Amino acid sequence: MSHIDPQVHRVLDGEIPADELNAAQREQLAALTRAAHALSALPRASVAARVMAEVRRPPQGAGVRLAHWLTERHAVTISFRPVWSLALAAALAAVAVIPGHGPGPVIGDQEGIAQFVGRFPGAKSVDVVGSFTDWRSGAVMLRDDDHDGIWRGTVVLPVGQHEYMFVVDGERWVTDPLAGRYVDDGFGRQNALLFVRSIAR
Amino acid sequence: MNSPRVLPTDRELSDPEVVARILSGDVEAFGIVIRRYESGLLRYATRMLGHPDAAADAVAEGLVRAYRHLASCRDPARLKSWLYRIVGNRCRSHLARRSASDISLEDAPPLPDPSDTEAAAERAEQLALVQRALETISPEKREAFVLKHVEGLSYEEMAEATGERIPTLKMRVHRARAALLEALKEEP
Repeated sequence: MSHIDPQVHRVLDGEIPADELNAAQREQLAALTRAAHALSALPRASVAARVMAEVRRPPQGAGVRLAHWLTERHAVTISFRPVWSLALAAALAAVAVIPGHGPGPVIGDQEGIAQFVGRFPGAKSVDVVGSFTDWRSGAVMLRDDDHDGIWRGTVVLPVGQHEYMFVVDGERWVTDPLAGRYVDDGFGRQNALLFVRSIAR
Repeated sequence: MNSPRVLPTDRELSDPEVVARILSGDVEAFGIVIRRYESGLLRYATRMLGHPDAAADAVAEGLVRAYRHLASCRDPARLKSWLYRIVGNRCRSHLARRSASDISLEDAPPLPDPSDTEAAAERAEQLALVQRALETISPEKREAFVLKHVEGLSYEEMAEATGERIPTLKMRVHRARAALLEALKEEP
């Protein structure tokens, strides 16, 4: 096996500039750089159509899915319409265990599905922050595809109790008024509580 | 007059935002993941396996697997490393099967396209030469060199993609450089 001078490794690891190398070291550096450059050519192939066809393919027939929907637990949505101001925007929230037989990702034994639904007319963005996002915004974005003011999102969470709040337009934190259970956040407000159950049961 | 509402483009959405959309049932959003990472993953798999068809199989299997298990991606901000890990595992499976059936890595070296220009043909020839040298070193060293110097991953990202410790990876990259340099000397 060729011996590579430690200085060459340091240059390749970005620790020192290349101009500190002598001629022999530069030769080694050039050979490896040329090799990496040749290998960096991108292939012309694409698997996009093949992959998308696979992920779009429903794993079972409509009859089977209907049977599951009729016989198993699923999310329930309750509407809430506030009248006093958008600052206390109405929200709906439903947290439920739904069947794991759909075309979506596989759910682990110790995981369940939480569905968030809220009514925020005029909002430009709504997301959910909570103990499951380390209270960081942007990880769980809700969507309002038909622009009716109802924002929805579904996420997979570990089984157990989680605290959460809605964030409207990236700055307005809103407690879910219909969560049913709350906990003091230590800053004078209340976080909503949700309980996620395993779908494996 | 109000400004028109600007819908987010692929580039404006962060990986965690894309993952959230997919997990909320938007299957088509997985197309964003494919557009974002497919080229690099295909290159990585091609360098690992040396055969474009096998590489396409590994990447397609890996991406479908990633979609099915997306909920287990604990940190969507590190989606890239997670995808490289899944495709890396598919490559290892392909290599193990290939080893069992004793098929040579050199059965399908990359060939220049007849419509290529002279410069492109020269680049293809250079690539074939380096690829042959790369295939003579162990899969672990090959993976280390490709992830570091072709895919441009940091040692932290490599650790996430391979499950190895950073000091181990640094040592492996150093040995891979030496092995590849030696192999290149032996190429005609």
